[in-house]
Amino acid sequence: MDMNYKTIKLAVAGVALTLVFASLSSCGVRDENTPGVEFMPDMYRSPSVENYGTYVIDGDTLYSAMLPVKGTIARNYLPYTYENSAAGYEAAGLNLKTPLDMAHRDIFEKDGEVLYGKFCIHCHGASGAGDGKVGLKLPGPPPAYDGALKDLSEGKIFHSITYGKNSMGPHSSQLSVEERWKLVCYVQKLQGKKEPVDSTKQVAAVATPTTAGEHSSGGHH
Amino acid sequence: MENNKCRTSLQILFAAVLLLTFSFKLSAQDGANLFKKNCAVCHTTSDVKLTGPGLKGVFDRVPKPADAWLTAWILNSEKLIKSGDPYANKIYNDYSKAAMTVFEGQLTEKDVAAILSYVKSPPAPPTSSGPVANADSEATEEVRGGVEPVYLILGCIVLLNILLYTLRSVRHSMQNSANKAQGKSETPEITFFEEAKQWISGNRRIVGVISLVLVFGGMKSCWDACYQIGVYYDWKTQKGYKPSQPIKFSHKLHTDDNEIACQYCHNTVEKSRHSGIPTVNICMNCHRGITSGPVYKEKEISKIYAAAGWDKDNQKYTGKENPLKWIRVYTLPDHVYFNHSQHVVVGKLECANCHGDVKSMTVIEQKNPLTMKWCIDCHRTTQVAMEGNAYYDRLHKALKEKYAGQYDVKFTVEKIGGLECAKCHY
Repeated sequence: MDMNYKTIKLAVAGVALTLVFASLSSCGVRDENTPGVEFMPDMYRSPSVENYGTYVIDGDTLYSAMLPVKGTIARNYLPYTYENSAAGYEAAGLNLKTPLDMAHRDIFEKDGEVLYGKFCIHCHGASGAGDGKVGLKLPGPPPAYDGALKDLSEGKIFHSITYGKNSMGPHSSQLSVEERWKLVCYVQKLQGKKEPVDSTKQVAAVATPTTAGEHSSGGHH
Repeated sequence: MENNKCRTSLQILFAAVLLLTFSFKLSAQDGANLFKKNCAVCHTTSDVKLTGPGLKGVFDRVPKPADAWLTAWILNSEKLIKSGDPYANKIYNDYSKAAMTVFEGQLTEKDVAAILSYVKSPPAPPTSSGPVANADSEATEEVRGGVEPVYLILGCIVLLNILLYTLRSVRHSMQNSANKAQGKSETPEITFFEEAKQWISGNRRIVGVISLVLVFGGMKSCWDACYQIGVYYDWKTQKGYKPSQPIKFSHKLHTDDNEIACQYCHNTVEKSRHSGIPTVNICMNCHRGITSGPVYKEKEISKIYAAAGWDKDNQKYTGKENPLKWIRVYTLPDHVYFNHSQHVVVGKLECANCHGDVKSMTVIEQKNPLTMKWCIDCHRTTQVAMEGNAYYDRLHKALKEKYAGQYDVKFTVEKIGGLECAKCHY
């Protein structure tokens, strides 16, 4: 009996020791560099091609993030016929006019202001003076809209957004044609060129879809 | 009288000298301003090329007399090219026929002279001294030990086994020689396992304790292993998956310090199911001009150039592109449907609602568990922004009629079907 009692005591000591060790190594310590073991990878990853994946098909390594096949034309795509050259820039300045209905100019300006806050403001600055945080870090800050760029025509503004100009890069991959024209409206406002809006037209403008309505139709189910 | 005249002329001379130095100073200052306003977008005073050539040593390159040629070029480069000037045409062709702005009418010859005098002697670039203030923990790179601990342990086990084997055989042969000397018979060699068995039966208590420790230790590691399953997210500390990316891109630097909107790079967030990982051409929109960062200097930014195939010295794309393999942080299983545009445009959620305070993160980290519980919890409690939301106009009207009089009804996502299985799983 005495012997058995001693064994129990030892066993208790052993369990206590284990618990001490266990508490020392905190539970669930994980490496922030690994996403964890996948539970049921079959459900996690489907055989269909997903975005940003790497796939090996017939021995070829393919990335799903790729440019479309050359010559692919997107829906509603309209070719932009002005060349990315000095001559194209001048030609766009002379001939390119906005396709937007300027009766609703104030709505486009408002949409343009939202877009400006996302796509332009960090270089061109809130007032278009070229004093954005990034603009000041560029080798030369962008010229002011109401200064050197005061008389820039709408075609030239559109052309510059599409292809870039000097230090500015092309923004056609980020902005649709319509968005670019809306931005042109707002840039013209910053140039100090706001044309007086006809009050009768303003009433009609309310009925037209705004950006929010437009996007919502694109929202999935 | 003579003396007086002399004094006056001296005074005039002095005033003239003063005026001259002052005006020279003024013109240099003017030059700096004019250069910044009109030229710096395309030119630097160093040998760094932008859209146009760097202007260091330009006075030695252009046809002589340099000042006259440069003035003609600056005022009307088109005219100079058309006149057939060989150097003007060479420059025009070298810089892919990007025409320089005609400054005739905008700048006077005096302005041009001021600019030229500034270009001749630009201020020395600020030299950084001592360690950079920003180079804190971000800059220190992780240094890992040379040998993985697993191999170290395996090596030790092998070594100890060899040692055990040699010691056992040495002991056996010594025992035998001792036996021989005493005239006893040779002891038979027993195997290691038999000896171990004998030792275990003699020391049952110690063995019991050891095996208990092993059993509980094993259970503990099984428990820990269970935590490794699924998306890495610690509910207690709210720490998540934070892999090191191929470029040490800092969201803090870009969105907080430089105030770039999230949507500038993740520009499909309002149009598509995915928020989009920016392609390098979007990096290049700014980094063609910004070649050095505050912490890693040119090291990390040069990785963008390598990916985009940008030849910095010649300001040209080489066409040799290498995809950047960013490591995906936020991911959902394939059987879950999630749409960014739906949540951001219609639901009017902010990026930070799900992604945490990205503006404070130098390394992007998963800030929410993305489990079903987490989704459902939010759908149960979040009220839908229906007022002034064109998407919900009709639904809002219908709901208001249906629940007329029940003023406590709150239109959470759950109320409009946000907990239906098929909303996310189909």
